[in-house]
Amino acid sequence: METHYVTEGDFVKLLSWLENQGHLYVATREDDQVAIKPFSEVGDFIYPGVRAYQPLKPLFFSLLEEVAEYPTDEEGLKESRPFTIIGAASCDLRAIEALDRVFLEGDFKDPFYEERRSKSLIIGFDCTEPLETCFCVLMGINPYPEKNFDLNLTKIEGGYVVEVGSEKGKQVVEQNKDIFKPATENHLSQRQAIRSRVKEIVEKQSKEFKPSGSWQEVLAKSFEDSAWSRNVETCVECAACLFICPTCQCFLLYDERFGDRYKRLKMWDACAYRNFARVAGGANPRPHLVERFRHRYYHKLDYFPKTYGFEACTGCGRCIVACPGKIDMRKVLKEVCKA
Amino acid sequence: MQGVKNVYKPITANIVEVITETPTIRTFVVRPKRAIPFKAGEFMEVTVPGVGEAPFTPSSSPSVTDTIDFTIMKVGRVTEAIHNMQKGDLVGVRGPFGKGYPLDAWKGKEILIVGGGVGGAPLRALFLALTERLDDFKKILYCYGARTPKDIVYKKQIMEEWPNIDPKKIEIRLTVDEGDETWKGNVGVVTTVVTDLGLDLKNSVAIVCGPPIMMKFATFRLVELGYPDSAIYLSMEKNMSCGIGKCGHCMLGEYMVCKDGPVLTYDLIKDKPAIWD
Repeated sequence: METHYVTEGDFVKLLSWLENQGHLYVATREDDQVAIKPFSEVGDFIYPGVRAYQPLKPLFFSLLEEVAEYPTDEEGLKESRPFTIIGAASCDLRAIEALDRVFLEGDFKDPFYEERRSKSLIIGFDCTEPLETCFCVLMGINPYPEKNFDLNLTKIEGGYVVEVGSEKGKQVVEQNKDIFKPATENHLSQRQAIRSRVKEIVEKQSKEFKPSGSWQEVLAKSFEDSAWSRNVETCVECAACLFICPTCQCFLLYDERFGDRYKRLKMWDACAYRNFARVAGGANPRPHLVERFRHRYYHKLDYFPKTYGFEACTGCGRCIVACPGKIDMRKVLKEVCKA
Repeated sequence: MQGVKNVYKPITANIVEVITETPTIRTFVVRPKRAIPFKAGEFMEVTVPGVGEAPFTPSSSPSVTDTIDFTIMKVGRVTEAIHNMQKGDLVGVRGPFGKGYPLDAWKGKEILIVGGGVGGAPLRALFLALTERLDDFKKILYCYGARTPKDIVYKKQIMEEWPNIDPKKIEIRLTVDEGDETWKGNVGVVTTVVTDLGLDLKNSVAIVCGPPIMMKFATFRLVELGYPDSAIYLSMEKNMSCGIGKCGHCMLGEYMVCKDGPVLTYDLIKDKPAIWD
């Protein structure tokens, strides 16, 4: 794919150009963490180094939104403003790929997701400071983006290597020709050195958790393993792991009365909750917490790959950080798949 | 629902008739603002304004296009609210969703239908669709069980009309778990009439719809009789909410029952966790 070089000074010009195209969300620092924030609030961009503490999914899939009003004749669809995200890590880009498959494939698309997704320009970056909870390499991706981005940044001396990943990204380059300079051999070898170094770090810390075969293969033998019960002991059913997960897309539809009309709302939901899969009359396929706990792993690493061909876990490690019960997905998997 | 821009928005429908089938089951005949074509076995989400939605498979023939019947048992929040509604009230309808019964693939076959309780609803749509093109099928054996004679849905049709459509091709077998003074037929669970079928199993498919416990034992019975797993069509009851394979509530192994089902053959799901729960 085509690569360019942008100096730090020119990058500031690019930021203000992007700000004029619509909303702009950028990576910034919040305490000791990376956060994605509206540029207008922070007025500052930092090269993130690692994924933000929050997932990107709320920008496409709202925590709570109105999806219909009835009875009316209007479709109830609104146009959204174009927006750019600068600071999507490789794991976040994989998560967007997973969400795209669910929301945009099949006989019916989710029109709200589709609208926002079609208005988004996504700029990724190479990780340079992985966290100790990072394990993307166990999920078939690298700590540097190889697809699913419009543009991708690698911070090198004096500026950025910018890779073009889509037609949309190409348009940005076309419209800012004076900013995008050719990337030299030297720039690209600097990028290669960073990529190799970071990949090695993530591989080293993930080594002890590497499964003996594909996740599907090892999980096929582990459904009844007693380690599921042992590991669920500290789970308090808060669903933090699911809400923070960049690929979790389950939602609830519910209706409310507003005057003489009714509104249908769509809200994030979580399969950890007891009545998530319960049907009227009371039948429940997963009445016990351990079954719901296990379901999350099977959905991400067995069911999702069966349907879409890749894992719905990106190895971002956010669930490990969020868990008040100190449940570490890597350790759970290591234990249940040890056989 | 193809071509609709906002898949979450219900189409307004007017209740034109309410038929009391049993003490807990009623059929609501609704007329949607615009026709909603469907195939037998596909389901729809019915909205009670302000209360919410629940999934139902129409029980009327797909060839009737101006009205749709939903036969609904009072079991939960939404169904209780529907049972409180009357002729003239408005509901909403979204759909159809999922995959219906593959009637074309069954051409030339002998069809066994096994139903229980309110599971008779989708099966009526199927039965009517089959009988409207009866030349395509060699035989239809319809076995239906209810708890008591009072719990039989579509009693007049099933006892008086259906057996006379074509007695050479169609056989109806009824049973109740518990008889009463009026009942002269078989007493026992539905599997007690799923016997001596007189069907060529090599050229037969079996369709099962009913409460989970009945589906489980009916399926085991069919396997025992020699039906291949891939010839047993089950209507799975899961928590279908969005209807479009996205909200995650109805997952059964890797299948989203709303999108990949609700009709699934036994071979696809026999090893999935909690299929009968």
